[in-house]
Amino acid sequence: MGHEDCVSKFCNAGWGEVLSRLSPYGYANFGIAFGLGFSVVGAAWGIWLTGSSLVGAAVKAPRIRSKNLISVIFCEATAIYGVIMAIILANKIKKPGDGITTELPEDWDFNSFYYAGFGMFSAGLSVGLTNIASGVSVGIAGSSCAIADAQDASLFVKILIVEIFASALGIFGIIVGIIESNACNFPIGAAE
Amino acid sequence: MASTPSGTHGGMADFNIHHGFIEALIRGMRSSFLADSDYHHITQCETLEDVKLNMSETDYADAVSDLTVLTPSGLQSAAINKLVTEFKYVRTQAVEPLATFLDFITYEYMIENIMLLLKGALSGRDINELLAQCHPLGMFKESTMRSIPTFEANAKGFADLYQTVLVDTPVGPYFAMFLQESSNAMGGEVRNVIEEVEIEIIKSSLIKYWIEDFYQYVQKLGGETAEIMGDILMVRADTNAINITLNSFGTPLNEPVMRTSDRKRLYPAVGHLYPAGTHMLADVSTEEELGKVLDLFPQYTSIWSVHAAEAEMSIDDAFYERDVQALELAFESQMHFGCFYAYVKLKEQEIRNLVWITECILQAQKDEINKFVPVFSSHAPWRSSTKAR
Repeated sequence: MGHEDCVSKFCNAGWGEVLSRLSPYGYANFGIAFGLGFSVVGAAWGIWLTGSSLVGAAVKAPRIRSKNLISVIFCEATAIYGVIMAIILANKIKKPGDGITTELPEDWDFNSFYYAGFGMFSAGLSVGLTNIASGVSVGIAGSSCAIADAQDASLFVKILIVEIFASALGIFGIIVGIIESNACNFPIGAAE
Repeated sequence: MASTPSGTHGGMADFNIHHGFIEALIRGMRSSFLADSDYHHITQCETLEDVKLNMSETDYADAVSDLTVLTPSGLQSAAINKLVTEFKYVRTQAVEPLATFLDFITYEYMIENIMLLLKGALSGRDINELLAQCHPLGMFKESTMRSIPTFEANAKGFADLYQTVLVDTPVGPYFAMFLQESSNAMGGEVRNVIEEVEIEIIKSSLIKYWIEDFYQYVQKLGGETAEIMGDILMVRADTNAINITLNSFGTPLNEPVMRTSDRKRLYPAVGHLYPAGTHMLADVSTEEELGKVLDLFPQYTSIWSVHAAEAEMSIDDAFYERDVQALELAFESQMHFGCFYAYVKLKEQEIRNLVWITECILQAQKDEINKFVPVFSSHAPWRSSTKAR
């Protein structure tokens, strides 16, 4: 990988060749995009799930308005995890140093290069996909929470515990993402 | 006729796109039902003035404040108008497929209204009086309703009535199916049908077609709606079948010839009793035989034993209790349409309860006053609750 010659002229003889020839810069930036994009999809999904029920239930029971905004905040938190991860990853992407124009030099630090690319892709995906699941889960639980709270105020705190567990799923994603991307560093020059 | 929904309503993750607000609205209205404590206060009242005072602390405050003097019929119409206002509010906000679902709920009342107008026309009553008695949920265009009793009460008049007026109403297809089936049975004479067949039998047939159509629609919606509404409609169909059989004893419909040709056609093709039970019910001629048939169906043995033992509760109340149990279940899960139907039906039950209680107070029959079926009661036989609401 990396140094061997391709079988075909454009390095596209099969999926294996295509995937292993994708530039690590591409992998890393896709990781950022997926991480942020999927997290926001999950958060938005959760917010409209819980928001529509909250507005409807508040018509007959206006007292639930303020308390149930917590559900919306939990959903928003999943989007924030995505933003944090994206910022961390974006700061780790560096241009190659001066003097390197079209071809990477022979002594380029390919180890860190590929490690960083794949690692950041995986970190982004892990945050993004877990946040979709977390966002949808918090949304559905939040919708039921608003409706139940409108009928019986003592139910709110109990259903909130369900939502807390649901939003913990997003935290798992960002923890793993941070641990994984810690060791990823794009090189700017030759290997030391 | 099988109406097809324009799509499914989505599962847990996307039901709220189109129906989230409205469903939460209906579930918020659940808190407007009278609680056990409200029923307790109202049944303790000595006069109807006290009832009015107690009602003004419930959700009926606005409805009751317009009545200068509380009478059972006045309370009933005020409560029904309140229900209709709420229903129309929900209906205007609904999108497909919920809109058609809500329309299906109103078709039942449309059938009742049309039958009322036809019966009134036959006995020559005043049109305005009839219109005032119509159920508000089942009204269609006033010009249409006014033209129903104006048709002549003969064969040609009825044929014209169907072809010009009824065919445009949403329940027109049910009439078409009824006329088709009756003319098939009678050998092709369409015009004489409405004249010769009793109004009650027409109504039972129309309600049967409505239940079957609604059931098909709900099954096509799929998901939890199909499960919950399917169960509710099956119980409804079985109630109709049992009531038709029970009410036919002692009438010409019970004769052996009529049983297979006419009575059997009135049983809906939906329900726990269909097809084996309705086949057996078609041959039943006495109450004993009816009891033997129902013994084979565990859901109905308890209801039948209430009737057979002639205990405190009438069989209608036993059916209402079974209905209330099934309808309350619709509020137990979210993201389906069952709660809309259940809300209308449970409100109707509550209105029936209020009329019963006020009638008992008016006629000073205090020992009968507790024979109603409360809704969402913590003392319900199927609910072992330790906490009162």
